[in-house]
Amino acid sequence: MLAKQTLEKVINEALESQADFAEVFVEKTVQNSIAMQSGKIENAVTNEKFGVGVRVAKKHNAVYGYTNDADEASLVSLAKKLATSFEGNRVRETIKLPEMKSGNKHTVKRNPSDVDAKEKTSIVKNADAAARAYSEEIKQVNVSYLDSVQDVWIASSEDIYTNDQRVRTRLGVASVAKNDKDMQMGFNGPGASKGFEFYDEIDVDAAAKEASRIAVTMLHADEAPSETIPVVVDNGFGGVIFHEACGHSLEATSVAKNASVFSGKKGEKIGSELVTAIDDGTIDNAWGSQNFDDEGRPQQRRVLIKNGVLNTYMVDYLNGKRMNEASTGSSRRESYRYAPTSRMTNTYIDNGESTFEEIIAATDYGLYAKKMGGGSVQPSTGDFNFAVMEGYMIRNGKIAEPVKGATLVGTGKDALQKIDMVGNNLLRAQGMCGSLSGSIPTDVGQPTIRISNITVGGRKGSA
Amino acid sequence: MNFEQLFKKAKEKNIEAIQAELSEAESLNFHVFNGEMDKHQIADTKKLKLKAIVNGKMGKFVTEDIDESKMDNWIDALLDSAKAVESEDEVFIYEGDSEYKDIDLFNESKLNKLSHEDKIQLVHDLEQKTKALDERIQISQSFYGESSSIVTLKNSKGLNLQKRVKNAVIGGDVVARNSDDSRNAFDFIQSNDPADFDLDSLAHNIVSRATALLGAKSLKSGRYDILLENRASASLLTGYLGMFKAENVQKGMSKLAGKVGQSVANEQISMIENPFMEKSSKSGGFDDEGVATQYKKVIDQGKLITFFYDLKTAKKDNHAPTGNAFGGGISPTNFYIENGKDDVEKLIETMDEGLFVTSLQGIHSGTNAVSGDFSLQASGFLIKNGKIERPIALFTVAGNYLDLLNSVSTLGNDLKFSMNYIGSPTLKIDSMVVSGE
Repeated sequence: MLAKQTLEKVINEALESQADFAEVFVEKTVQNSIAMQSGKIENAVTNEKFGVGVRVAKKHNAVYGYTNDADEASLVSLAKKLATSFEGNRVRETIKLPEMKSGNKHTVKRNPSDVDAKEKTSIVKNADAAARAYSEEIKQVNVSYLDSVQDVWIASSEDIYTNDQRVRTRLGVASVAKNDKDMQMGFNGPGASKGFEFYDEIDVDAAAKEASRIAVTMLHADEAPSETIPVVVDNGFGGVIFHEACGHSLEATSVAKNASVFSGKKGEKIGSELVTAIDDGTIDNAWGSQNFDDEGRPQQRRVLIKNGVLNTYMVDYLNGKRMNEASTGSSRRESYRYAPTSRMTNTYIDNGESTFEEIIAATDYGLYAKKMGGGSVQPSTGDFNFAVMEGYMIRNGKIAEPVKGATLVGTGKDALQKIDMVGNNLLRAQGMCGSLSGSIPTDVGQPTIRISNITVGGRKGSA
Repeated sequence: MNFEQLFKKAKEKNIEAIQAELSEAESLNFHVFNGEMDKHQIADTKKLKLKAIVNGKMGKFVTEDIDESKMDNWIDALLDSAKAVESEDEVFIYEGDSEYKDIDLFNESKLNKLSHEDKIQLVHDLEQKTKALDERIQISQSFYGESSSIVTLKNSKGLNLQKRVKNAVIGGDVVARNSDDSRNAFDFIQSNDPADFDLDSLAHNIVSRATALLGAKSLKSGRYDILLENRASASLLTGYLGMFKAENVQKGMSKLAGKVGQSVANEQISMIENPFMEKSSKSGGFDDEGVATQYKKVIDQGKLITFFYDLKTAKKDNHAPTGNAFGGGISPTNFYIENGKDDVEKLIETMDEGLFVTSLQGIHSGTNAVSGDFSLQASGFLIKNGKIERPIALFTVAGNYLDLLNSVSTLGNDLKFSMNYIGSPTLKIDSMVVSGE
């Protein structure tokens, strides 16, 4: 870790210019990953990241530099180099950093660095065995284990000096089911901002079997139809629909540049009254939580949409300047190799009142998307696509045959208005979200919801 | 970096063989948004990747904290890592090949002719050009990125290789709007020779791609003939690289398993891997294991010739390694479908009714790399009687990649590479399932 005086020196050097903002981000991360393939541990790799990012800005225009060379002289020279973009007389007083704030509310009981490699590999082996034992049709299982301890120190000219430790743990199981006609994959990847105690709290066998269950179910599934029909999206990872279709368009990254379909819509009704959506970076030990955001501000709970009305965007400090809004503590980045920007944390649609059974029973004909895969969105238009990993047809208010290969396409604006039933069974699930500031852990989530009609693209053609 | 000392310490700890890969990189990025430079980034980084054989198992360790006083810790980490490995596959640290192709990927004199200010000016120029071309361009952004790297690969068996690469990319991203629609488009030029940066044609491409799609609506579900534009075809191929990797083939995770020597695509299709393309940052004379790279036909006139191999998978198949060990696994360098003969205009003219698909979205989620199935969001144009009738969007195109390769009827002559150097010309494909209204 760098001395406080060094941080002050770098910040003040950067401010020997017309720049009105300077920030130093120091990171040390140790990640351990274990990969098991074909029933054997194939790799166990430790990856150490260490580097410093320096950001200098005038209003909302920023210059960013990063290096692994953390000695004071080279950081000062980096700050000088960055400041040349804003040549002119100094506009800020000399910065004195406050006392460092730290403290982890996401209690970690067993830091992964204190856990023996044998214990870690035994989790991986259990998962592999459980996934294989599920069915004879399971021909391949890949298990990945990841633990990560990220220590960051953030100091800036905005009276910020914080230290945060983010401990994360995740298990990924990918099962492949195969017969002479087809191969299908299933995936399940539970994770949390926890240490190794995570594995005392989850049922590893059940998590692994879930991946195999999906693969086997899809192996015997018919092709999905291609038509525009009602779609019931189940709770948990189904929340990826909101994440992709609406969440990204509520990030200041696109809103501030007027590049989002939701730019300038604060206070307006943008969705069905049944929809209240929240981005909460403070949930205890959740996968996407932090104590401080990556600009050193405390994480917050943000009500993005309240009963269909746009309540707040997710705003980082610099885009906030462009928008004339305060930061909402939403600034995140993968590592020191990225300048931060506004990103989601744990984002979900809040509970409604319908039960799961009521939603299915109320649907005459449609698609039940039980498990979603990934997707993507174009923020300027809101056009989205996402894959259904496990789907079923709904016929006469009952779940019928499984179908594979469905992709849902639509626009966020439209889908948000077409949500006509919201369940009471909110569940969150873990994912990695890739965007401008890199790949970061985020939770998606929702109760079971119904979209009154949406385009389902399958390979079967229309009836 | 004192490699000799590291290798000596490793030997003292009974490490059978050790390899070190040191990458030193510098990069520069500019981003201009609506006339203002809103992002400017410089970086200077180093990364050390180590691998070592201990009792026949491969240990691995990666660090950016390259403090040579910590060498003993690195070796301990390698020993721990190897101890955890169970795989009985034979592992290798390579002595090296007798010959490596020497290619100049630095092209130093050329990119360095541009000053820092010249580069900034280029980005501003592109942004202004895109904006000036059409009043419907409401948002425009442009960027310039440049990186240079030196990779040194040494091992305890005497391997000593180095490659220097310098490359730049300039590109733009616009949003066109009219009263009831907005559409975006993106394009770029990647090269290490500034003479290739033809900003006028780049700006024209970006703007016309966005404006032509304004007012796009969905279309009736059904089966259509498809003209898959070069870039869309290249991005689809990116989703299926796994099929060609020996590790997936050996694990029964590729539908191409057992098909070498057989026809797997229409006879007009040839797929080439060329590691020696001069202006590509992916080119090079050796892979991450120190194996010499080679130019090869992966598919020759529809027939599957080879998979991509590293040392381990090559040994298993009793095949020569192909120089494709990259990024901790197997990857191609520059990989593309070879050009056909026809201009795209001609392909459009000879289509009675069909879709010209210019973009596919959601490749990472909508493709099943194992089964070959895909169902992807698309946009483009409806063609009737050899003419573009109207822009179309919000529909999906579904099929299976191997079926697609077999139902290609004509290839364009417009080979284009993605940013990741996967390339294709425009393909004409018979009858695919389209889901719209």
